[in-house]
Amino acid sequence: MDLTQMQRRLVDYTSSLFREGYLDDQFTQLQQLQDESNPDFVFEVVTLFFEDSQRLINELGEALDQQNVDFKKVDAHVHQLKGSSSSIGAQRVKNVCVIFRNYCEERNTERCMRCLQQLKHENSLVKTKLETLFRLQQQILTAGGSIPMWSE
Amino acid sequence: MLAILIGMLTILTWHFTRVYTTKSINSLAYGLRYELLQRPILRMWNILNSTVEITMAQVKLSEYVIRRYDKPMAQTAKGEVYEVMRDVTWALFASRKALNAITISYRNGFVQAFHRDHRSNNTFYIYSDFANTSLTATRKSVSSHGGWNDQSLDDNVSAIWYREPLDPVTGKTTGNSKKIPPDDLIDIAGLSEVADGTASWHVTVSKYTNSPLLSAALPVWDSPNESIVAVVGVTTALYSVGQLMKELVDFHSGFMYLTSQEGYVLATSTNAPLLRNLSSGPKLMMAVDSEDHMIRLGARWLKRTYDDKFNPRNEIHAENVRLGKHQYYIDSFFLNLKRLPLVGVIIIPRSYVMGKVDQRAFTTLVILISASVCILVVGCVCILILTSGVSKEMKLRAELISHLDARRRAEASSNFKSQFLANMSHELRTPMAAVLGLLDILICDDCLSNEQYATVTQIRKCSTALLRLLNNILDLSKVESGKLVLEEAEFDLGRELEGLVDMFSVQCINHNVETVLDFSDDMPKLVLGDSARVVQIFANLISNSMKFTSSGHIILRGWCESSNTGTYTNKFPLDQKEPRSAVKAKSNQHGNHGKKTTKKDNKIVIWFEVDDSGCGIDASKWESVFESFEQADPSTTRTHGGTGLGLCIVRTLVNQMNGEIKVVKKDGPGTLMQLYLVLNTPVDALRQNDQVLFAEHNLTVLLSLNGTKGRSIMSCWLRKNGVQTFEASEWNELTQILQEILQGRNTIAKSSFKMQCSAIESSKAGEIEIGNLAAEFIIIVDIGLLDSSTNIWKEQLKFLEKYLGKAKFAWILNHDTNNAIKLELRRKGHSMVVNKPLYKAKMVQILEAVINERSLELHKNGLSTIQDNLHDSLEIPFNYDAASSEESDTSDGRGFNSISAFHVEPKLVERIMSPQSSRFNEVNNSLVELSVRPTSQNLPLKMVSSDRKEQNHVESCKVGPMKNSLEGLRILLAEDTPVLQKVATIMLEKLGAMVSAVGDGLQAVEALKYMSTAEEGRRRKLPMRDDETISPTHFHELPAFDLILMDCQVGKSLSFDASREMPKMDGYEATKAIRRFEEGTESHIPIVALTAHAMSSDEAKCLEVGMDAYLTKPIDCKLMLSTILVLTKRVL
Repeated sequence: MDLTQMQRRLVDYTSSLFREGYLDDQFTQLQQLQDESNPDFVFEVVTLFFEDSQRLINELGEALDQQNVDFKKVDAHVHQLKGSSSSIGAQRVKNVCVIFRNYCEERNTERCMRCLQQLKHENSLVKTKLETLFRLQQQILTAGGSIPMWSE
Repeated sequence: MLAILIGMLTILTWHFTRVYTTKSINSLAYGLRYELLQRPILRMWNILNSTVEITMAQVKLSEYVIRRYDKPMAQTAKGEVYEVMRDVTWALFASRKALNAITISYRNGFVQAFHRDHRSNNTFYIYSDFANTSLTATRKSVSSHGGWNDQSLDDNVSAIWYREPLDPVTGKTTGNSKKIPPDDLIDIAGLSEVADGTASWHVTVSKYTNSPLLSAALPVWDSPNESIVAVVGVTTALYSVGQLMKELVDFHSGFMYLTSQEGYVLATSTNAPLLRNLSSGPKLMMAVDSEDHMIRLGARWLKRTYDDKFNPRNEIHAENVRLGKHQYYIDSFFLNLKRLPLVGVIIIPRSYVMGKVDQRAFTTLVILISASVCILVVGCVCILILTSGVSKEMKLRAELISHLDARRRAEASSNFKSQFLANMSHELRTPMAAVLGLLDILICDDCLSNEQYATVTQIRKCSTALLRLLNNILDLSKVESGKLVLEEAEFDLGRELEGLVDMFSVQCINHNVETVLDFSDDMPKLVLGDSARVVQIFANLISNSMKFTSSGHIILRGWCESSNTGTYTNKFPLDQKEPRSAVKAKSNQHGNHGKKTTKKDNKIVIWFEVDDSGCGIDASKWESVFESFEQADPSTTRTHGGTGLGLCIVRTLVNQMNGEIKVVKKDGPGTLMQLYLVLNTPVDALRQNDQVLFAEHNLTVLLSLNGTKGRSIMSCWLRKNGVQTFEASEWNELTQILQEILQGRNTIAKSSFKMQCSAIESSKAGEIEIGNLAAEFIIIVDIGLLDSSTNIWKEQLKFLEKYLGKAKFAWILNHDTNNAIKLELRRKGHSMVVNKPLYKAKMVQILEAVINERSLELHKNGLSTIQDNLHDSLEIPFNYDAASSEESDTSDGRGFNSISAFHVEPKLVERIMSPQSSRFNEVNNSLVELSVRPTSQNLPLKMVSSDRKEQNHVESCKVGPMKNSLEGLRILLAEDTPVLQKVATIMLEKLGAMVSAVGDGLQAVEALKYMSTAEEGRRRKLPMRDDETISPTHFHELPAFDLILMDCQVGKSLSFDASREMPKMDGYEATKAIRRFEEGTESHIPIVALTAHAMSSDEAKCLEVGMDAYLTKPIDCKLMLSTILVLTKRVL
């Protein structure tokens, strides 16, 4: 594939991610933080995030499976997930977390379960999206090009 | 219960009254009845007795007569005997009127009798024929031993009886004797009746009387031979007994009767016949057959009741016997006469005896019953009233409960609202932070012209205001829930409000409205209070005025009503040392975060007025405009917009500051809002006197401004401060004055000051001039005076150029001033440019700049070189504007008193070194720098170091050059989320800081302790997370951390993780632990909180536990940087 074409595709894809609300400015800030000294910074952070989020989601699933749901614990997990998701700019995951916490306060198990499903869904969605993004970037890099910065 | 009680009471009362009365009456009645009955019985007894007496008397007389005449016993003698007997008998008979008859029947059958007929009142003498007497006498002997039997009497029937009527009084025969059949008239007692020789009694009836008769018979004994010679019979009518009974009954009512033992009625109190006329002659009646109804009933009742065991000898006293329709008392008495026992019965109606009692009892009962019914009714009514009251109360209570419920629900919903707001504010802050950040980047851009720069600065200011507004939305919910807590921080009131007016003037100019700020000089510079709220109040008021004012002016006036005026109003003579030390003290104070701020009460009342010339508010609405969602004229909502909440918030805030706000009547159109606030002033702030005595510098100002109000206020103020002023409102006026003054000045014509100057001032000016200190002439020109629509303005500028050497020009620009004009101005060397509106602080700066310039001129004697440089340095007002609203409490723009004479020079040097740095110097215009600079004037080395710092500031605001701005800082990051940890670490490292990251609060505390105790370089492996980025060398190199970034929730979520044994701490606890650890030592490590919550309550909590600042997630790079710099500055 032509390098410029790939680059354009990357820009389009990235902007679509922003447009559809998967990502927000925080991700841009992350990208800005990446430079020659740590070229894989964004990738590392995102990987870290998904490890973390997977763990948290699993723990949430366990916690909600209990007979007597410990909402304090659930709330703490969701809070953590919210913090990390907002830090990488995974906006939709963060939004679900906000809603989730509200239900936690209401102690509504059923809605919490639904939120958890949504959380899983959003998480996997943003994961695939970001994986695609990274793959595109990788392709460009291997083709010898530079990654264009997304800017509005 | 009550009813039962009342009923029982009634019945008891009635019972007692009745029972006792009844008892006494009964005993009385018994006596009465007894008495009543006793009397007829006594009468009877009397009658009987008298009858007996008569009989006895007759017998004795008869015996005597017969004995006397017994011997001769001749026929003639016999006749004599009979004659005597007749007389004797008559005498007896006449003496007793009650007697019915006296009969004497002799043995020989001769009969003599006197009879009294009560009906016809006739008296008769009845005798038998002599002829037959012998016959009977013979017969008598036959049966001498057999005694008198009936047979002999029956034989007598054949005898002839005669009757002679007699004169009842004399006993003389009045008529002829008639023959009558024997026994026809009366009962003649015969021998048979006295067979046993004793007296006999019986009751008889006769044809001629309708009452029974009592007859007694006694034999007349012949004394020698013991034989009965005659029988005497006496008959008495019982009529008189009946008469007595009648009388008694008439008086007492009731009924009485006497019966024989067999039950035959002898006498009654009624007129009913006592005899029955049968074919065989009249007969006695039984009482039960009596024709009188009552007697019959009574007798029947007696018979029925006592039928079998009826023993007449028993007296009967029966009460309440119902006969017919009434109740009666029935009593019977037994009179035991020999041979003739009698029974008396009295029937008395109950009503006679007990009538009154019964009636009384009845009425008593009725009264009692009615009374009890009344009481019952009243009681019921009372109970009803009572219960209705109670039920009303219950209803109210229920209502109250429901209200409480509703309130609780409302509170809950309000809680949800504030939750929502918290989330929303978080969402809104993020884009706002981005906008601000981008603006910062833009400001850092090199290729901006001054105008662009000013615009961007303005945008940034507006954005900041918007962000503030967002925070205010949060606070409004707090105000509503009454939880608003006002800050108590030192701030520059004037600076804040000037910034506000600057902000609004942008909109204001578009409207062709003049915004004027008019503060009296006695306003305290620094006050303690909540600057944000104060600004909010005025922002609301001014924007309101702006909305409703289409042309004219908006004036914000302020003056002070000080409680300790004495110390305050004194105008301090300009002292070189005093202000400087004050400034230093202040910077110190600021560094220690208000530690030294004395909390001594220094309350002052500051009055404000917002005066506009808009459409005004109707007087009737002056109160209601402060209500929620209220606008004076609802129709204006469409044209002006707005929610109507503004004034409500304003009033709430003002009240919170112990103030009051009201609309005041004003002359002319528009609205005048008056309010006062009670604020504290720091004690030392009172000593700060920034008044420059411009009079010393002999200044003359020509104010050529469009706005009348602003101009007059300004000139007033200037004159008060000893500055001569001229006013011009349009171009022609300006030129006229210029020509007059400046040309006149050349010839030293004192008369040219005639317009505005006082005599003293003018003479002083003259003196100064003579002293080779030429008075400075300043011309302040509003750009609006130039005709910018055509090209005439170029001509006008050229005209003014002539005076450039003689006077200093200051230009006042509009925001929409044409770029060409600006360029031209700059080209021509007009470097003093300020933005509208012109207010005191700007004026002061202009004047100071002029003074400084002049002193520089004097100092350097090189006017021409300075002129170039002035271009930059005199843009102070611009930069000052930009800084004013953001860093009001750190910068002190009016600190240029006499010290500022030195101020310009270092700036110039700075300018040479880095052309764009001065702006940022001003952005971060802090007192530290200001106070350092004058001293550094003669020490180039130090100045460089100060520049270096400024350099940092400059870089800090850019993404690129901000690298290493944190060079050398050692930061401990306590954050449990690996992602955040990584991001924050990279961010900080990019800025040049050295970062040690730990996973929870405990580790942070331990790391800190380790650092402070083991500075010798002992290396110890701390329990850290896998991904922690701390390198061992850091530990080695660094004696301590400069700053800690602490996630508030750090470790909290992990503490649920069972696999980790170590007890964790969250950020709050860790901070507390660190502060405890620091106790007693001099060190104070700054701790910055990181939290995902945007509520200011979290902020309060953070600050409470000892944290120094507060950042919200996601981390905003610039905000973090500036926070860190502020905090570490004093450590460095």
